Amino acid sequence: MATLEIRDLTKHYRQGGHVVRALDGVSLDIDGGEFVSIVGRSGSGKTTFLDLVGLLMRPTAGSIRIDGQEMGALSDGRLATLRGAKLGFIFQEYNLMPTLSALENVMLPLRYNKARREGGRKRALRLLEEVGLGDRAHHRPAELSGGQQQRVAVARALVNEPSIVLGDEPTGNLDSQLASELLGVMRRLNGERGVTFVIVTHDLEIAGSTDRIIRLSDGRVVSDEPAGEVSAA
Amino acid sequence: MEIFRNMARRKLRSVLTISGIVIGILALTTMGAMASNFNALLDGGVKYYSSSIQIGPDNGALGSVVSTDKVAEIKRVDGVADAFAGVNLSLKPGDISVVNFGVPDMIVTHDPAAGKYATLKMTIVQGRDLDPGSRGEVVLGYGVAKEFGKKVGETIDLPVKPKDAKPDFVNHTFRVVGLLDKTLTAPDSFAEVGLADAQMLLADSLPEALRGKVDTSTLATGIEAYALPGVNADQLADRINAEVSGVKAIRPSVVVNGFKSGGAIFTAITTGAALLALVIGGLAVINTMLMAVTERVREIGLKKAIGAHTRNIMFEVVSESTVIGLVGGLIGFGLGAGIVSLVNATTPPSQTTLFLITPGLAILSLGFAVALGALAGIIPAFHAARLDPVTALRAQ
Repeated sequence: MATLEIRDLTKHYRQGGHVVRALDGVSLDIDGGEFVSIVGRSGSGKTTFLDLVGLLMRPTAGSIRIDGQEMGALSDGRLATLRGAKLGFIFQEYNLMPTLSALENVMLPLRYNKARREGGRKRALRLLEEVGLGDRAHHRPAELSGGQQQRVAVARALVNEPSIVLGDEPTGNLDSQLASELLGVMRRLNGERGVTFVIVTHDLEIAGSTDRIIRLSDGRVVSDEPAGEVSAA
Repeated sequence: MEIFRNMARRKLRSVLTISGIVIGILALTTMGAMASNFNALLDGGVKYYSSSIQIGPDNGALGSVVSTDKVAEIKRVDGVADAFAGVNLSLKPGDISVVNFGVPDMIVTHDPAAGKYATLKMTIVQGRDLDPGSRGEVVLGYGVAKEFGKKVGETIDLPVKPKDAKPDFVNHTFRVVGLLDKTLTAPDSFAEVGLADAQMLLADSLPEALRGKVDTSTLATGIEAYALPGVNADQLADRINAEVSGVKAIRPSVVVNGFKSGGAIFTAITTGAALLALVIGGLAVINTMLMAVTERVREIGLKKAIGAHTRNIMFEVVSESTVIGLVGGLIGFGLGAGIVSLVNATTPPSQTTLFLITPGLAILSLGFAVALGALAGIIPAFHAARLDPVTALRAQ
């Protein structure tokens, strides 16, 4: 059983007088522990794909199964619980709480997930150590560099020990060296913890460092291959 | 802690919002303290007059005196437990120096035997009660003792001589034998003497044309009658009016209702202040929290993404607005209590203090501030909870 099973996933919007087919019948499986990148031009549907897999919006049609559980019929409240339990998010803009320290930011998901609260602080501190920020635990985001902030976001995405971490252009705001360092951190955590990573990126160099590259165009999967076999677009 | 950090993000705005609540709660506290003071006074009146029937001269009679012979007649009316003649006189005749919101200082007749009937219980905190038939002795109410600085064993001249008194002004020296506990109502302004002494003072107070020509030892300014247990006091008052000539008994319910309607006015004043607080403080909090929600759209989107439920988001917004209400309430109540305490402390002993801070008022003010903050947070909380996480996460 794959960690993520997607069948005929479709999302249509009505914009003005016509229908936009943001995602149009995508089917794929992602296994546990894979590090997958989703690439494609602007408007190809990759962000919509991430929002749907992230349970942040409902599809027009199709199904999403995470760890074998069908998401389609669940209530908004149940979806929120599952987001907290099974998913971790990393955003391009870091999205850290400016009033909270690095440690408090990492611990933020525990506030909404009672089941993982026990030992949460210890886990958060260990994750900060693992992303190389053990000595910055009590610093506020404004006192951290962009690369450090994104590492805090990575630690936050993992604190609930999710099945899948979703990254929306996680290296998009970093220079190439910091982007490469961050990817190294994510790959290490992926290897050590066996957590599935699915990241959306427009950077083919970053995509090339992942296990598998899925290319979207006009809301459809146009290629799905191991990273080594993909040529530059 | 996060709530206080969020408030600190926009310090000026938070200060202005809290100031709105402070003003409202300050108004509520001061108005409420004034209402508490007067309601305590009126409650005492209700207690006192609900247990006794006040009897005075018949309508149209000249002067405010009745014959003490009427006491025996009244006692014979079926249902009367006992009746007592009384003489009430001004403690400070001719004193028109200040506007006084309380009960004026009075010399009143006290018969220890009446104590067992009265529902407004008065406690002697120092010394003793008057002896039956005592002469030259006085028991002072809390306010009078404080105003004149008198203790048990000291003497006081009654009535008190006005500054502009004429040479023929007469008063008498009384020995203070007891002091009453604070009642927050009329007895605080009383100097209690025996009936014979009160009648002697009544003789002194007569107009020059009558002085020396009237035997005041058979006169009283009023009679108080008490009903036997189970007897309806209003109906008994009607019976006294029907059976005893030359007197007018007032139904206790008429007097009590008069006090209660006075209390309703002060309650309306407090309610008005509370509404003022609601409008000023509530709108300020709603505005602040709506702005805060707008500024923190991305943060709310993130919280939803990482598992926050609608109820979590609403709880966080309402908690913040509640804390704003609580902080404003604490400052507003503290300021209000400080101001009224200062005003009370600087009120001359000869004047009635205007304010009374009670535990109930403290609970009302702080509870109101907290409820106001919580209610004002509901609209912004709904606004935050309804945000679409996808849109919120990518808001600029």
